[in-house]
Amino acid sequence: MYDPHSLLANRRQLLQQTAVGFGGVALSALLSSLSQAGDSARTGDAGNVPNPLHAKPPHFAPRAKRVVFLFMKGGPSHVDTFDPKPALDREDGKPPPFALPDVTFAPTGNLLKSPWKFQRYGQSGLPVSDLFPNVAQHVDDLCILRSVHGTNPAHGGALLKLHTGSDQFVRPSMGAWVTYGLGTENENLPAFLTLCPTLAHGGVNNWGAAFLPAHCQGTPIGNASLPAKQAVVKHVSNQRYAPDLQREQLDLLQAMNRDHLASRGRDQALEGRLQSFELAFRMQATMPEIQDLSLETETTQRQYGIDDPVTENFGRQCLMARRFLEAGVRFVQVTHSDSDVQWDQHGDLYRGHTKNASEVDKPIAGFLQDLKDRDLLRDTLVLWGGEFGRTPTAQGTNGRDHNPHGFTMWMAGGGVKGGMAYGATDEFGYYAIENKMHINDLHATLLHILGIDHERLTFRYAGRDFRLTDVAGNVAKDILA
Amino acid sequence: MKFNYACRHQPRLLWRCSIRTLGLVVVLVSALSLDNLLVGDEPSQDRPSTIPQHELAFFEQFIRPLLIEHCYECHGDQDQSGGLRLDSRTAWQAGGDSGALLTAGKPNESRLVEAVRYENLDLQMPPSGKLSAEQIAAIEQWVTLGAPDPRDGPAQTDSTDAAHESDGEGAAQHKPLKGMSVEDGRKFWSFKPLSNPAVPSPRDRAWVNTAVDAFVLSQLEAAGIAPAPPADKRDLIRRVTFNLIGLPPTPNEVQDFLADDSDDAFQQVCERLLASPEYGERWGRHWLDVARYADSNGLDENIALGNAWRYRDYVIHAFNDDKPFDRFLIEQLAGDLVDEPTVESLTATGFLVLGAKVLAEPDVEKLMMDTIDEQIDATSKAFLGLTFGCARCHDHKFDPVLQSDYYSLAAIFKSTRTFDGNNMGAIKFWNEYQLGSASELEALKPIEAEIAAKKSAANSFKAQAMKQIADAAIAAAPKYFGIASLLPPRPTLPEVEPLATQHGLHARMLHHARVQLELRRDDPAVAQWQQLLEQQQSPETIEQHFAELLLLAQQPEAQQPETQQPASASGPSPSSNAEPAPDVDTERAPAPRKNKLISADTASREIAAHLQKLLPELLTVPVQPEFAFDEETLIAYYALMEEARVVESGAPDPPAVMGVCDGQVRTTLPIHIRGSHRNLGEPVPRGFPVALRTSTVEPVFPRRQSGRMELARWMASSQHPLTARVYVNRIWRWHFGRGLVASTENFGVLGDAPSHPELLDWLARYFIESGWSTKDLHRLLLASSVYQMASTNPQAEKAEQLDPENRWLWKFRRQRLEAEQLRDAMLAVSDRLDFTAGGKTVPLRNRQFVFNHTSQDYTTYESLRRAVYLPIIRNNIYTLFEQFDFPDPTMPTGSRQQTVVAPQALLMLNDELVMDSADALAARVRRDYSQTNERIESVYRLALCREPEAAELSRAAMFVQRLSARFAAPDSGQAVLDSADQKAWSLFCQTLLASNEFIEID
Repeated sequence: MYDPHSLLANRRQLLQQTAVGFGGVALSALLSSLSQAGDSARTGDAGNVPNPLHAKPPHFAPRAKRVVFLFMKGGPSHVDTFDPKPALDREDGKPPPFALPDVTFAPTGNLLKSPWKFQRYGQSGLPVSDLFPNVAQHVDDLCILRSVHGTNPAHGGALLKLHTGSDQFVRPSMGAWVTYGLGTENENLPAFLTLCPTLAHGGVNNWGAAFLPAHCQGTPIGNASLPAKQAVVKHVSNQRYAPDLQREQLDLLQAMNRDHLASRGRDQALEGRLQSFELAFRMQATMPEIQDLSLETETTQRQYGIDDPVTENFGRQCLMARRFLEAGVRFVQVTHSDSDVQWDQHGDLYRGHTKNASEVDKPIAGFLQDLKDRDLLRDTLVLWGGEFGRTPTAQGTNGRDHNPHGFTMWMAGGGVKGGMAYGATDEFGYYAIENKMHINDLHATLLHILGIDHERLTFRYAGRDFRLTDVAGNVAKDILA
Repeated sequence: MKFNYACRHQPRLLWRCSIRTLGLVVVLVSALSLDNLLVGDEPSQDRPSTIPQHELAFFEQFIRPLLIEHCYECHGDQDQSGGLRLDSRTAWQAGGDSGALLTAGKPNESRLVEAVRYENLDLQMPPSGKLSAEQIAAIEQWVTLGAPDPRDGPAQTDSTDAAHESDGEGAAQHKPLKGMSVEDGRKFWSFKPLSNPAVPSPRDRAWVNTAVDAFVLSQLEAAGIAPAPPADKRDLIRRVTFNLIGLPPTPNEVQDFLADDSDDAFQQVCERLLASPEYGERWGRHWLDVARYADSNGLDENIALGNAWRYRDYVIHAFNDDKPFDRFLIEQLAGDLVDEPTVESLTATGFLVLGAKVLAEPDVEKLMMDTIDEQIDATSKAFLGLTFGCARCHDHKFDPVLQSDYYSLAAIFKSTRTFDGNNMGAIKFWNEYQLGSASELEALKPIEAEIAAKKSAANSFKAQAMKQIADAAIAAAPKYFGIASLLPPRPTLPEVEPLATQHGLHARMLHHARVQLELRRDDPAVAQWQQLLEQQQSPETIEQHFAELLLLAQQPEAQQPETQQPASASGPSPSSNAEPAPDVDTERAPAPRKNKLISADTASREIAAHLQKLLPELLTVPVQPEFAFDEETLIAYYALMEEARVVESGAPDPPAVMGVCDGQVRTTLPIHIRGSHRNLGEPVPRGFPVALRTSTVEPVFPRRQSGRMELARWMASSQHPLTARVYVNRIWRWHFGRGLVASTENFGVLGDAPSHPELLDWLARYFIESGWSTKDLHRLLLASSVYQMASTNPQAEKAEQLDPENRWLWKFRRQRLEAEQLRDAMLAVSDRLDFTAGGKTVPLRNRQFVFNHTSQDYTTYESLRRAVYLPIIRNNIYTLFEQFDFPDPTMPTGSRQQTVVAPQALLMLNDELVMDSADALAARVRRDYSQTNERIESVYRLALCREPEAAELSRAAMFVQRLSARFAAPDSGQAVLDSADQKAWSLFCQTLLASNEFIEID
């Protein structure tokens, strides 16, 4: 028979063992949830949904606790930003003296020199082009990865590859894997947020959980078609009823749910839903508060360029990101994308890249400075980059094509070496040749920095143990401080 | 070996091994080499004694260290990427997956040399970076020498290397897993032919209504667990109604069932539900999960699958008509090849076209093989409960599926056409059958023309407006240069805006120009500006300077009046033209100057011409219309875009169905080594996986057909070990919330074992014997005591100890409403559900982009029709669906998850659909009843199918009263009181809709 004492005991146990965080509540019976502790869990069965979100220890001491990915949608050109190629100045206008890939996105033209000058900055003396004069001030904190490769020649495939490791199947995104591996540090908020993401080229799959438990999925705040000022989580506020009315409604609901639970006996789904409503109610208060940038000083707002229409939008995203990171969110993605051209300059490189860089340069510099000032940069990994670079050859007269064969991303903070350039492309910047960093290697390294062994972070799905890095990935240990 | 981005398990990615292990190997092999050197003059007996000493020395000095450092990690004893091992002579002499490593004496014909030279983009070793020129030369030299190699050793992975065995982790774990042999595979439970189990005789005969009960009960009795008592009649009718038609029973239906004491009362309910058209809308949706149905492509280019709805309707009809499952299968795989193809059977082949495709993939061959892979994946998971995908690159590591099996199947799909061969531009067209008559197509032409015209109107408006802005700026260039001198080198836009407004300039362009004048200071024309700035010239002077300069560029040399004074070629000569600083008056209204600031010499002309060309880069129109245009222009432009979108969205499509047809028949297909279409191996003929063949005779395929019909017939055969088992297990899952085999898409070695293997086989036979009738199977299962059990068991405590997951079915599994059930139930109880069936519902024309120019998806979900008819937009699923575990519509799914996450609670609290439904439900009961208690009872009956208890009645009444009072003071007017009352009732109704009791089915 149903025993109220055992229910109470179990409720206590339940609350201790399964953090009823933002994301989810275990559904499986208590016994099976205990047996599921560990890296892998089962799916494919409604009665057996894996454990949720409480903070989990990493595999080894982490260098960083959280990640922020500044995603430059469209593919910023590496030879015009962080990977100078004097050979292009010399050989400008000549046919490329190297073999081209069998498949290119568009017909390949002759070599095209960079319209920007590079200057050396900082103690490290690393060169940065005139597109990023403000970020350049932080060059001694940057670990510039010049040999990233292996996405896909088209945007859709490349975004998916960058975010999920697969350009062919729907697979969990890196933020979802990190959430799955580490859980969250603030149970009133989602563990993985993506600010103003683009809905194109993979859309939700780029922050999706695929076969991982639903609570690992990224929560989008707005999307690329809306100004950052209007970005909110869906359903986070009620247009009709004030919070105190909703509280009364919730009290009635919970009374009904408690009666119902008492007549049904032990059931984690019923119990979990009871808790989830309380959390949702708390989140309605928490989210708007964190997103309220007016709580920041004017100096800080200016530091992020919020006072300037050119930098306002991305500045807001970066400042929101800092506030979420500070509040304990594990993985924040910030996307720079508009609906039109993004960083995708097949033509008119000069105009497009100038516009894009002027929108992000100051906010990123302000963001890095702010993280430093708050001592957050130490254990926050900042990742910057696009889904591929651009060809050193021209497309048309003044554009550049997609180049997934060698391009630049950079990291900062999170125990990576600052003032370092890692890997290299060939003398023209077409192919990565030295210390090549495949996208799987990037993922392996990112997880390593968070204290996760990418080969051990697995999930059993459809009879196979899946990983973010599939069957590949090497940690680039040389970049670790 | 070859590698490229086409391959899912990129061979290059096999480049992994822990540093620790690598270190061990290095130490180990160094020791060996040292040993070799030490005992060099005493060659072991099986070492080729023919290696001259100097060649041996060359190998030891240059080649062995290089191999150890750069190659062993992936081609050593632990990993053999590409099937290649480089740590012993015999090993590499055996070659790798791609063939021989080298041709002794001929470096230019050797794959090894080709790989290290890094000239072939698909073959570059080592993958992390090119070797030094010296190292490459050494390898070339070594091959030229004939590749002398003293390293003896086994080529197999079962190395008896003692030092290696001492590696505490156990080297065995790293050995590549070998799939089950075909012989062993035939012995695995799911690959064995269907057995014919006898129905057992449990002790409690009274409980046994059907053979199903006998199987379940005998297992429970063996475990010593008693099944739950029969469910309450209210629970039962609610359960079966949601289960069969996805809707709650009406209060009258509940009442009728409670009042019916006859023996066949429940059977009557089941028959009524099975015969209703809503049955197909519920059960068809189950199959649509398996078929990864969607109305848009998703993946890279999200365009509308504008004719997918015909497949959706086909599935719904198939369930309503109880189409025999074998026929259903054959139509979906080969509906174009049946004896007399109909539109219906062609529509069914949409199954093979619906998958998400990388439509913009530039590499067409890769696209073809990826599409075939997706088709094999969907087909094998949907019908056979197997994952064949792994075998694209290698033999299956667990199941008895060989790589050759995969390419036997792939040959069939390769002979099938999924794309429209005539439309293979940037975004490839999938294949469709056109159904329209010539006159129908003709009738659409004006509409097509209108769409094109609207689009072109918007585009040319934009182009013209952009050009006007550009022209205006170029005409005002001198002014821009003048005003720019008032700004700091890297101004913010707010600093620019007031000046721009004051002088009638475009703020963003002025901003851009100022930044450019800084960045391009080395440019000769810009240098002039900088010089003027340094001299602190007034804006007017600068403006005039550039006005004159640009005038020079526009006037042919001959027409220029000769100037007297030659000016310096390097720039302006303000010193020679020095004039007093302009007084205040001139600054306000600068009169046309008589004095020329610059001379028209050749140098100036050159600079002028150069500047003229440079102008578009200094005065650049922002790319985005919202930055380039003023508000008026922008509104006009958006209006044109919107007009084009609306016309396109609303335009009818030419009638067509998505479907495959036969293409060029390929009787064989080469194995793609490591899954790469650039590395082809042995050709294999069309065929079926060897371990699954029901006959020892190899199938024979028609020369002029793809072989899909033979494949379909083989799968739909009563002798096939998997097809019927997999399907009856799905049906079981959709009734009971968990399959007899929990992993509905995996009946392989890593799937779950069946909880009731005999029952599964018995059901599969029963199903085939009934002519593959789904409805017969429903009748059998619904009539069983197992289905009619309560969801709680008084002996739960004991049962949970023995069987915590309820695999043996000692109670009915409580289930949460699925997304569609939840939505439809809210609409049904509030009397808002629109029962219109079928037809196109996605608000997009075929192949129209889902997102408009501002990344906005115009798809709306406000329709009140059943959820099965709401559009399924991949990458942007309807929020309510997404939150309540709607499956990813790119992967076959037979068993949805049931998560509990906080966003679900947010949705139930704040979503408009929920609140609107609550409003309508409140209005309904307020209209129908005047007394508070009657209203509460009615809400309970509608939403929860039961009467409220006394305590519930008083609690609800107090809630409504209290809230009503908060919305309006008692002395308010009638209208205010009325509205307050409605709001209070609405909040109460919403509470019930959000409650556990509403969302859970006992």
